[in-house]
Amino acid sequence: MQVSDGAVIADSLERPSAFGVIFDRHGSTLLRFLARRVDPSGAEDLLGEVFRIAFERRSTFQRDRDSARPWLYGIAANVVAKHYRSEARRLRAIARVSAERALDDDPAERAVAAADASARWTRVVTALGTLPAAERQVLLLFAWEELSYDEIALALGVPVGTVRSRLSRGRARLTELTTDPDATSKLHFTPCNSGR
Amino acid sequence: MTDDLEPLRQSRPDRVLPDDPPDPEVLVREKARLMTAITGAAAVHRRSPSLYPRLAYRDEVAALAFLTRAFGLVERRESRMEHPGGMLAWLEIGDGVLMIGRAGEEHHGLLSPLDAGAPTGMVNVYVHDIDAHHRRAESAGARIVMPLEDMFWGDRRYEALDLEGHRWHFAERLSEIRARSGS
Repeated sequence: MQVSDGAVIADSLERPSAFGVIFDRHGSTLLRFLARRVDPSGAEDLLGEVFRIAFERRSTFQRDRDSARPWLYGIAANVVAKHYRSEARRLRAIARVSAERALDDDPAERAVAAADASARWTRVVTALGTLPAAERQVLLLFAWEELSYDEIALALGVPVGTVRSRLSRGRARLTELTTDPDATSKLHFTPCNSGR
Repeated sequence: MTDDLEPLRQSRPDRVLPDDPPDPEVLVREKARLMTAITGAAAVHRRSPSLYPRLAYRDEVAALAFLTRAFGLVERRESRMEHPGGMLAWLEIGDGVLMIGRAGEEHHGLLSPLDAGAPTGMVNVYVHDIDAHHRRAESAGARIVMPLEDMFWGDRRYEALDLEGHRWHFAERLSEIRARSGS
């Protein structure tokens, strides 16, 4: 049985180098999260920022917790929010790639269905950028990172009820925006500017 | 209830594009930077060699435990990638790096010797204190297939199979052994 993150972090208060274990356990997950959300080249720098912030705040981590992952996601989500230009570029790039993907490899009969799906992804990603930042954050932690409601609540430091309501508002808005084909032309990116 | 989120799930960048694992070098470098910031000690930059083979195992998790226990390889723990379809790990010994992953058609079509019926390559490693290395491997259950002996070309060496039958050749230069024992 491996030592819990809570115990490792408690140990790192006396012995700072012990904190390296937290990077070992979660660094690759957080790098993947950041690379989905900001320019991939920027993700590398932000990874360092996330762990330096986590190290400085390690005394606030509750030592009875098994996993530091939701807490690290919360720090990373805030770091992403500060780099909203990079986030907007990333979403535009994903929308572009989604639009192109169907064109590559599809035999004719699948091509129409694939083009539909691809157009839908493109609209989804474009619409995503126009959601209120707090709703986008919750939607993506849920749909892309596959965190539970409880983990998202821990990450963002909000009650679970707030997670549920943001998620349901976000998905309703997303459905509305993506089913109206004209809607995306009116969309503008909303920077993440809400702190926790 | 989850249907309306399916397009959003599918639009995740690594699903739209092939799933490239994050660059393990980035993780190694960022970990080194973090440790420098934490401890104030100078960073040790461990560069990967240009050549680093990849071995495939049916059970790569068991292989990782065996290679570290029996052969003394050290995992770059910060580089480990865990996916539902298998784990990727990078191991170091001396200045060499080895990557291990799961065997299978969907994993670059690589086979474990258990599937192939025989190893199709051999990993050659120079180690410090070959006699101690040999004792450790043997007591950890490695199958020794060539005994430890001095060879005319100047190596003291043995060969062993790991858990799934990959063949390993471990050696130390006789001149280094003599220098170490001061004779």
